[in-house]
Amino acid sequence: MEMELSTHEMDGGITRVELDGRMDIGGAAAVDMKMNLIAGSAKKLLIDLQKVTFLGSMGLRSIVIPARAVVSRGGKVVLYAPTEMVESVLKASNIDTLLPVHHDLAAAVAALQ
Amino acid sequence: MSSISCPVAAMPAEDTAKHVSRLTLKSQLDDMALLWPWAEALIAQFNIPSDTAFAIHLCLEEAISNVIRHGYIGQQDQLLTVNCALPEAHLIEFTIEDQAPFFDPLEPDHIEELVEPSPEDFLRPGGRGILLMRKFASTIKYERIEAGKGGGNRLTIGFALP
Repeated sequence: MEMELSTHEMDGGITRVELDGRMDIGGAAAVDMKMNLIAGSAKKLLIDLQKVTFLGSMGLRSIVIPARAVVSRGGKVVLYAPTEMVESVLKASNIDTLLPVHHDLAAAVAALQ
Repeated sequence: MSSISCPVAAMPAEDTAKHVSRLTLKSQLDDMALLWPWAEALIAQFNIPSDTAFAIHLCLEEAISNVIRHGYIGQQDQLLTVNCALPEAHLIEFTIEDQAPFFDPLEPDHIEELVEPSPEDFLRPGGRGILLMRKFASTIKYERIEAGKGGGNRLTIGFALP
């Protein structure tokens, strides 16, 4: 399945990015440019991983590099609702120590305030 | 793109107990699109649980992309093969063979630097795919293919089955 990305603005100036599909090499390439464009303007970024069914190291880079760009400008980023296996990749790579992971939407939003 | 799949019946007699299927890829990242349907068919054939299937996808993607990006380094006309085998009742193995320069991802220097990886390690070009492989695979074995036998690398990654 082709990787899909959609965004919408939430209250409080939060940009929610919903990723849908496999974040493998092909999926990462499909969303790289859009993710970097979003990171160029977003100040509070909620990356919704609910529908991400696979995450490899290239997919990790496609999430973390834009996220760091937001953080480096004083913004905030949270990862929301990864599946168990996707979260295991986040933990194995220690990315969860860099970007907080939340499974409760209210908590994710609160972390961005 | 090129792909060769060898069902059990097509394999030499002495190999039928082990080998299940073989995939041949060109040394191009685009060719990795062939990997997913091939692996999915095996996962369905052997009724592999979803968490193990995830681990198989992860390790194959990391191992093969490393060969293409860092072994062959821009040479797009080289080949690599992936063999699937069932060496014992509760283990499925994937063996990746290439003719790239020797590189043992399991050698002590590489392992030592991965004991406590930082998130930064994963952001470098090339990433730390080997660490993910080591965390998600049940077994990993590296063998050098000597020049007399074609030269190259053989990486065997195993996954425990219920």
